[in-house]
Amino acid sequence: MTNTYYEFFCPVKVIAGKAALEHIPYELTGRAARRPMIITDKGVRAAGLLDPVIMACEESGLDIISIYDDVPPDSSTTVVRDIAAIYREKSCDSIIAIGGGSAIDTGKAVNILVSEGGTDIAEYTGAGLIKHPLKPFFVVPTTAGTGSEVTSVAVITDEKKGIKLPFSSSFLLPDAAVIDPRMTLTLPAHITAATAMDAMTHGIESFTCMAKNPLSDAYATSAIRKVSESLLHVMDNPKDTDGRLALAQASTMAGIAFSNSMVGLVHSLGHATGALCHLPHGLCMSVYLPYVLEYNLETIRGPLGELLLYLEGPEVYAITPAERRAEASIAAVRKLRDALYKRCELPRTLRETGKVNESQLDQIAEMALDDGSIMFNPKEVTLADVRAVLNNAWG
Amino acid sequence: MVIKRFQPIASRAKRQYVALMFQVMGRALQAVSEVDQEVQQEAQALPEGFLFEMMVMPDGASLVVEHVGDGRLHYHGSSAPRPVNVSIRFKHITHAFLVLSFQEKTSVAFANDRMLVDGDVSYAVRMTRVLNRLEAFILPRFVATRAIKEYPKNLHLPEKLISAAQIYLKVATHFIQTARA
Repeated sequence: MTNTYYEFFCPVKVIAGKAALEHIPYELTGRAARRPMIITDKGVRAAGLLDPVIMACEESGLDIISIYDDVPPDSSTTVVRDIAAIYREKSCDSIIAIGGGSAIDTGKAVNILVSEGGTDIAEYTGAGLIKHPLKPFFVVPTTAGTGSEVTSVAVITDEKKGIKLPFSSSFLLPDAAVIDPRMTLTLPAHITAATAMDAMTHGIESFTCMAKNPLSDAYATSAIRKVSESLLHVMDNPKDTDGRLALAQASTMAGIAFSNSMVGLVHSLGHATGALCHLPHGLCMSVYLPYVLEYNLETIRGPLGELLLYLEGPEVYAITPAERRAEASIAAVRKLRDALYKRCELPRTLRETGKVNESQLDQIAEMALDDGSIMFNPKEVTLADVRAVLNNAWG
Repeated sequence: MVIKRFQPIASRAKRQYVALMFQVMGRALQAVSEVDQEVQQEAQALPEGFLFEMMVMPDGASLVVEHVGDGRLHYHGSSAPRPVNVSIRFKHITHAFLVLSFQEKTSVAFANDRMLVDGDVSYAVRMTRVLNRLEAFILPRFVATRAIKEYPKNLHLPEKLISAAQIYLKVATHFIQTARA
């Protein structure tokens, strides 16, 4: 499993902790930016999450020039074009994306257009087309799971063609990711649980899939430990800022890990299920994780066994025989899912989601088999294998 | 000193080996799509006229195949008649040599960032499965296990030998036809 060669890259400045938002004005002026635009969605604005950011800037004599708060859950080429037009009209010089994966991806795409020129973001789809640094770009995540604040990819829907356009370039990485526990304090229980399980899956897959490497391993294990230690505590104490910060940091660390070591079959299945059944990504991750680990078990027994230390702590790790640790890791994941089901009814099977029809499983299997992340799954996957995993996950 | 003197020769040999392997693989891809139903099923999902390229960056050896319909692939040689739909690009001749000399599995080469995919990733994944299937047929099992992630459980010796013989025959015929032309 150990690679003899690897690459690792993360130039994003991480600004994390108490009063982190108040660092934004300093970071903006440090990049000669005086006219920032905020890109967000209506939910974030309605929750009052923009207020501390605006206040922090105003207190430093920096006005937010424009706020676009209409980013949809699946951002589109039209939305990106419209935001870029506003950015140009108002002579903005930097972008602050505040929100979850969609707002952040939209911010990345808008930054391509306003930096490279043009009105059609589709012209920049693919890898390596962007050759120059873009405008100053800051990300303030309001969920703790996607890790988008430290990834170099974005996905935007092309409405006309009905396809998802991927964008990949190291220049898409933000200048800074601002992790402030105030931004996730009001996150509802089921979103807290699903997004944390997304971060957990990023950590576990990056530690067990083919492109794992020593540096991503360090981030992955730290992320897994933080989620394991903090998630249930936060579910029981949602206003606990230390717990919220721990989950937000875990999300960022897991993001750094998986953007450098990729993910595997859990994500292939999740992408397909999300596209066909419109289930939230984090929920899909939580549903599929133990079933895929069981499928990969004999190929990943070593690293999966090591993860028991981070999932259950040193005592459990020490008393578990080495040859039983991999199974114990899967059991720990199942135990966590059961605890989340008890607290917020986060589904553990496809049947429990109530949104997947058993007749869709073949289509999910076929789509998952063509997903890019399947390349990095440690075990070769056939259509029959995917179907078997789906049958198990059906419940 | 001696090593330095042999470096240009080794480098030239590497380039020639990779170019030859691309020629063999291109022809073998066409042949396997005429012989194996599973490959035909995989290729049928590609649009007709779909062009697939493997090449060494920046402008090294390459192979181009086209899906001409019904799951059949046609080898175009090293240049495409029009812009390709999906290109798998090795970053360096050494990386191509590692994969084509079966020192590094294709999947490991992807994981090690030796290659870039330009185009629709889902089609690249599909073409990788076709390449894996081809390698399982034409390579002895102990070599194939070094080239692909997992040797197919359902590929038994009689089927392998018959298919491999058909593929090699078609590749040889194609080489002769090209030489005559």
